[in-house]
Amino acid sequence: MSSTQTDDTDKTPVEDPDVCVVGAGPAGALLSHRLAKRGHDVVILEAGPRFDMEERVERMKRQIHPERGVDEIWDMGGERDEYTVSSDIPMPLNKRRAKGVGGTSLHWGSVVPRFRERDFEMESRHGVGKDWPISYGDLRPYYAEAEQEIGVAGPDEAPHQPPREEGYPMDPLPESYADKLYAKAGDALGIDVQPMPMAINTGAYDRNECQGHGTCEHVCPSGGKYTADIHVEKAEQEGATVITEVPVQRLEHGPDGEEITEAVYKTPDGETHRQTADVFVAAAGAYETPRLLFLSESDQYPNGLANSSGTLGKYFMDHSGGLVVGFLPGLEHSTTEYGPVISSGVFQFYDDDEAPTGGINMMLLNGAEPPIATVAMTSDEIGDELLEKIDLQAGNSIGLTLSTETLPREDNTITLDRSKTDNNGNPVLDVDFSVGQYAIDATEKGVSEFTDMVEELGGTVVLSQGTHTLNKADEFIEQTEGGYHPMGGTRMGEDPTESVVDPTLKTHDLENLYISGGGVFVTGGASNPTLTIMALSLKAADHIDEELQG
Amino acid sequence: MELSRRDALAALSAAGIAATAGCSSLLGDEGTETAAEETDEATATATDAPTDAPTETPADEASSMDTMVALAEVLYPSEVEPTESFVQTYLYGRIYAEEAYAGEVDSGIETLNGLANDEAGDDFHALSADERVSVIENTDLRTGDSVHDGSDVERVNYHLVDELLFAFYSSPVGGEMVGTQNPRGFPGGYGYSPPLDQ
Ligand SMILES: Cc1cc2nc3c(=O)[nH]c(=O)nc-3n(C[C@H](O)[C@H](O)[C@H](O)COP(=O)(O)OP(=O)(O)OC[C@H]3O[C@@H](n4cnc5c(N)ncnc54)[C@H](O)[C@@H]3O)c2cc1C
Ligand code: SF4
Repeated sequence: MSSTQTDDTDKTPVEDPDVCVVGAGPAGALLSHRLAKRGHDVVILEAGPRFDMEERVERMKRQIHPERGVDEIWDMGGERDEYTVSSDIPMPLNKRRAKGVGGTSLHWGSVVPRFRERDFEMESRHGVGKDWPISYGDLRPYYAEAEQEIGVAGPDEAPHQPPREEGYPMDPLPESYADKLYAKAGDALGIDVQPMPMAINTGAYDRNECQGHGTCEHVCPSGGKYTADIHVEKAEQEGATVITEVPVQRLEHGPDGEEITEAVYKTPDGETHRQTADVFVAAAGAYETPRLLFLSESDQYPNGLANSSGTLGKYFMDHSGGLVVGFLPGLEHSTTEYGPVISSGVFQFYDDDEAPTGGINMMLLNGAEPPIATVAMTSDEIGDELLEKIDLQAGNSIGLTLSTETLPREDNTITLDRSKTDNNGNPVLDVDFSVGQYAIDATEKGVSEFTDMVEELGGTVVLSQGTHTLNKADEFIEQTEGGYHPMGGTRMGEDPTESVVDPTLKTHDLENLYISGGGVFVTGGASNPTLTIMALSLKAADHIDEELQG
Repeated sequence: MELSRRDALAALSAAGIAATAGCSSLLGDEGTETAAEETDEATATATDAPTDAPTETPADEASSMDTMVALAEVLYPSEVEPTESFVQTYLYGRIYAEEAYAGEVDSGIETLNGLANDEAGDDFHALSADERVSVIENTDLRTGDSVHDGSDVERVNYHLVDELLFAFYSSPVGGEMVGTQNPRGFPGGYGYSPPLDQ
């Protein structure tokens, strides 16, 4: 694709850095910035390019154009990004990740609720999954720091939130017209509708303010939505070096197998380089990190690097969920003209002692219809007929995006598919994920509560798809397909025979290799994962900093 | 309703040719004003930006403008009149901002004229509105695929037809005709929050 040209920046390794970070998404970016700020010499190796801010409008137009795929927005696809899916739900991975400075946060919706206290203790509380080796309390200060770093607009006083010491950095987004409809339905039904914490700048942050394009997922042209390129650039200002378009092929260890010595990477013109460092951090996302460790197998680690437990790639999770669209004819105002796509949600059924106990995160949409420009381009009509057609459907939709908890299962895995290779001849990843009844129960509950809300408002549900309609997965529209929130596969634990990393995110097997990202999650909760990824990465940065000092 | 230069500039700012810096909230009725003011700010940026752009429209471009206006006339609702200045302003930024797009417009017009000559014996812009509609109805224009790097007609669909539709329906003028002053794609500020209907 023409807009991502190979740049001519220096691709040679940095001499003797303290830390080498693989991947420039949120998990790598915040950690790199913190370490660089503390005076450490950091190099980031990123597989993808640095995207030009000026091209974002063109990418937004790809999003609105009906003939362009979601994978085209951030130039995903081709041999570089090959993968295999063996799951029971469609997972179009190249529509669910971006490679480049900022990583998948370029795509994201910027919905940033914290995990709840119960998410760390599901085994003790409900006898499912496994307890984390850390508690909500351990992560709580890091949540606050992450919210401060990225700029979150959220409600200080709202029900069904975990305890917080300080307020959100910004007031919540203003209540939208659709939010008022949701609140009205909620009042009648006894459902608490509350502002959603969003990483969108309402004015207080050192980046552009939200301009209201309403295309947050998958492109924010103005930069009002937080994307992790912001912290990559901040890290560079603190002295870090970023080398782009250099996919790391493998991590190599020294003769005793206790330390990583080099990250071996390829440049676009086919050269191989070796980056040394004192500490290495694998932050390549929850799909690619296990793959990188499998590709780094050696005589000492024949089943994959850092895999003496045999759990590498196992206990993989994605959020289950669905999409429900309601049509409310005759509304006086359009539900879509607000700007950001989400500004409120329902968390009342997340931490519920009644069955189903699976977490339920209900994201309420400011309109759930395609942009009117998309409808215009999709249609065959012209002139007045076209206008009439658009007018019929415009502005009268509300909708729910649902994220529900799946359980960590040993047989949900990321492995290598040795029958298929990428452009560098490396076997691709194979994701094999089955949603499970636990998650389906939670999804059905969320769908049913939202359906009641639509009906309370006198509307009709016109689309309801997700893991509750898994038997009709071949009918899913693109948005309903899975793969948005990869977690697990390199899970955290105290016991080296049952987990890949310890509570500081250091691998049990190698004393200078850390993993940052959703892969370390022990259970998946229902909150969108990235704020927790960020909090954990700031915590890991503190541990690495301590180690480098000592 | 005549589509003004200001309307075009609103479309331009949706396409990001004009600066997206500066910000506003759409708050109730003031929203329209705020959006309009922003559009005025954008005026300066959009016209100042291409420093080497000619101030007069050259002759060959005048005819490409004619064709684009003629196309917009049949694509847009009859109530609106896409003036040359709407289309010119909209395309102006793109033509001078991106050489590649100027090339697409030129070759797209050639394709369109070929179809028009086959169908009605003259270049597209010289046809009556009814004839232009039949050119669209009797070919793969609109009904055929729209592909940015596809066949000649597929490219006309993508770079001319869809571009003009995007311009109109991602701007407040097109939006307001279907009840939204801030359609998706348009940076009309955030926070618009009218009261619930009684
Ligand atoms: C459409 C969409 C919407 C989303 N919305 C939300 C939301 O609202 N809220 C939320 O919390 N989460 C959301 N997510 C999830 C969120 O994007 C991820 O949780 C987050 O980006 C994970 O961060 P990461 O840094 O671990 O991985 P990534 O962001 O995926 O970054 C990994 C980086 O590593 C690079 N890399 C991979 N392999 C290599 C290699 N071998 N060598 C060098 N570099 C490599 C990649 O190119 C990439 O840049 C959404 C995701 C999608 C797809
Ligand atoms: S609504 Fe705001 S945050 Fe969303 S894309 Fe537009 S400017 Fe970005």
